[in-house]
Amino acid sequence: MGIELPAGVTAEALSEFLLALADDELVLGHRDSEWTAYAPILEEDIAFSNIAQDELGHSLVWFSLCEKLTGKNPDEMAFQRPWEDFRCCRFVAYPKGDFAYTVVRQFLFDVAEQVRLIAISSSSFGPLREISQRIIREENYHVMHSQGLIERLGDATEESRRRMQSAVDVAFPQSLGIFEHLKAEEELVDAGFFPGNDALKSAWLAQVVPVLRKATLTVPVHDHKNTFAADGQSDDGGRQGKHTVHLQALVADLQSVYKLVPNAKW
Amino acid sequence: MTKEKMDTQWETYEVFHQSRRGEPHEYVGSVHAPDPQMALQMARDQFARRLKCVSLWVVRSKDITKTDYQDENFFAQVTDKSYRDPKAFEAPEKDGH
Amino acid sequence: MDRTYDEKLADFEARVGRGEKIEPGDWMPEEYRKNLIRMMSQHAHSEIVGQLPEGKWIPYAPGFRRKLTLVAKVQDEAGHGQLLYRAAETLGKSREDMMEELLSGKAKYANVFNYPTPTWADVGVIGWLVDTAAVINQTMLAQSSYGPYARAMKRICYEESFHIKQGYDIIAALARGTPEQRKMAQDSIDRWWYPTLMMSGPPDSLSVHSQQALKWRIKTKSNEQVRQEFVDHIVPQIRALGFEVADKDCSYDKTSGHYRYTQPDWEELKRVINGDGPCNKERLDARRKTHEDGRWVREALAVKGRKSAEAA
Repeated sequence: MGIELPAGVTAEALSEFLLALADDELVLGHRDSEWTAYAPILEEDIAFSNIAQDELGHSLVWFSLCEKLTGKNPDEMAFQRPWEDFRCCRFVAYPKGDFAYTVVRQFLFDVAEQVRLIAISSSSFGPLREISQRIIREENYHVMHSQGLIERLGDATEESRRRMQSAVDVAFPQSLGIFEHLKAEEELVDAGFFPGNDALKSAWLAQVVPVLRKATLTVPVHDHKNTFAADGQSDDGGRQGKHTVHLQALVADLQSVYKLVPNAKW
Repeated sequence: MTKEKMDTQWETYEVFHQSRRGEPHEYVGSVHAPDPQMALQMARDQFARRLKCVSLWVVRSKDITKTDYQDENFFAQVTDKSYRDPKAFEAPEKDGH
Repeated sequence: MDRTYDEKLADFEARVGRGEKIEPGDWMPEEYRKNLIRMMSQHAHSEIVGQLPEGKWIPYAPGFRRKLTLVAKVQDEAGHGQLLYRAAETLGKSREDMMEELLSGKAKYANVFNYPTPTWADVGVIGWLVDTAAVINQTMLAQSSYGPYARAMKRICYEESFHIKQGYDIIAALARGTPEQRKMAQDSIDRWWYPTLMMSGPPDSLSVHSQQALKWRIKTKSNEQVRQEFVDHIVPQIRALGFEVADKDCSYDKTSGHYRYTQPDWEELKRVINGDGPCNKERLDARRKTHEDGRWVREALAVKGRKSAEAA
C-alpha cells in the first residue's frame, strides 16, 4: 500500500479529487442500471446496461486507486460510507426521469468525463495518467451513443422535440455542478494534476453546445470569447457534501443489503 | 397480422462479425435498428460484448437477395464433376519411396 | 408439378427424421409453424418478463462484483429475448405483434417469473435453480429441428452457464455466512422448489402440445425427462451446500438411478400460467408501462431513420 505524492499535494487533496471522480461514476452508473429491463426497446436495454457496467467499472478503478490513500477497499467506500461523505456532483443523483432526461444527462456527463479524462491523460501524476488513458477508450463510445441519440431525438417528432427541450432546460443548469471547484482545486492545478474545473468547463461547453444546437435545442448560454458561458446558477454543493434527498435515498438503496447483516460477506 | 398498425420495432439488420484480422466475417444474428449507424452500435452491444471483435458489418435484412430452399435444382450437380476435387487425382509419389 | 400436401408432409417428415434442420422459407406443416411460434415467442416473453424479478435487486445488490454481475445477467436476458424474438420472426410474425400478444395477456410465459423475489437470496436461487432447469431444457432445444431456434439456443446456453455460476456463487456465499444468511438462502430454496419443478411443463400425458413437438423434433425430450434430469442434477448440489430440499420425500432410488420426488401441484401451474399467480399483474403492468413509456422514442427514431434514408 501507499502511494508516492509529489511535494505540495497532500493525500487529502488527492483523495478529494479521486472521490469526485469515483462517486460521479458510481452514482450515475447506479442510475443507468435503473434502465436495465425498462428501456424503450430491447436493443437500447442492452446498450444502457453496457453503459451502466462501464460507469460502475470506472468507479471501481478510481476507488481502487483511492484505496492506496485511505486503506479502504472499493466495497467499503461504496457500500458503507455515509451518504454525506459522498463527493459526487448533485447532477448525477437526480432520479432517472424520462428517457429524454436520461439521454441528455448522459450526454452532458459523457462529454464532461471525456474532457476530464483527456485532460488528466497528460497529468503530472502517473497513476492518473495511466488510468485515464485506459478508461477513455470506453468513454469515447459512450459519447458516440448519447450524442447519436441527441442528434436523432432533438428534432425527430414534435413529442421528441418537446421532451428533449424540457430535458435540456432541467439538466443543463444541473450539469454545471460537475465543474464545482474542489477544496484542493488550487493545490492540484499548481501541481499539474489537472488543468482545473474552469478549463474543463470551457472545453466541455465548446463541445456540448454546438451538438445541442444542431439538434435544434435551445441552450442557456451566451457566446463568450471563443467559446460559451453558461447563463444561470450552477447547481453546486455536491463536491462539499451538500447533497439533495435524492442522493440520500439512492445511497440507502445501494447499501441496503450490504449493511443488512453486520460484518457479513455477500 | 395487422399491417395498418404502426410497427415501432424498427427494421432489422443482419450482423456480420470478425473476431480477428485475417479471419472471415461471420454471420452472428440480427438487430432491430432505426438506421444503419445505430444498427452498428446495437450490434456492438448485442454481439460484441463478450466475443472479441475487430470489425462489424450490418446490412438491412430486406436488402439481402436469397436463394429459395425449395429450389434445390439451383445447386444440383448432375454430371460427374469429381475432376474439380483434388482428391480425384493421383498424388505424386514421395521421393525415395 | 404441384405436389400434394401429403407428399410435402412426407418430405418434411423424412427430412426431420434424418436429423436435418428445417430452415426459414422451407415448406412446413401449419401446425409445426404455429407450435414453433408459440414456443419461441413464449420463450422470448419469458426472458423479458424474467428480467423483472431479478432486475428488482439491481439497486440493492451488495458490493461491486454482485452489482456488475447482476446488471450483466439481466442484460443477457434482454439479449436472449432479442435473439428469440428474432428467431421467431423468421416464421413470419413480427416482434411488434408478439409484444402485443404478451402485453394484451394473450400470450403465455414461464410460470416461475410470476413468483415474488422478497429477498436477495432469490437472485441467487433464480440463477442457480431456475437457470439450471432452463439450461437443461435449452440444451435439448439446441437440437431442435428448426434451424434458427437451434442456433439461438446454442448461444443462449453458453451465456446461461454464466448465469448458473453467478447464482450458485451467491448461494454459496450465503451458505458460508451468518445464520441469518443461511436462513435467507434456505427459505428461498424452499419457495422456489416447486415453481422450478413446474417449469418443464405438466406431465406429457397432460400436455397437448408436447406430443406433436416431440414428433417433429421441435423438442427431443419429454417434459418428464427434462424434469428428472433437473432433479438428479440439483438435489446433490443443494445438499452439498448443507441445505435441505423442500420435498421431504425426495430420495435417491438405487434401482432406477434417479431421485424420486413429489409431483408439484399441477392445478397451481394452470392457475399461474393462465394469469392468476402472485405477480402476474405486477409483471405485465411493468412491461406495459415500459412499452408505452418507450413508444415516443421508438417512433421518433423510426421517423428520423426514414428521413435520413430519404435524404441519402
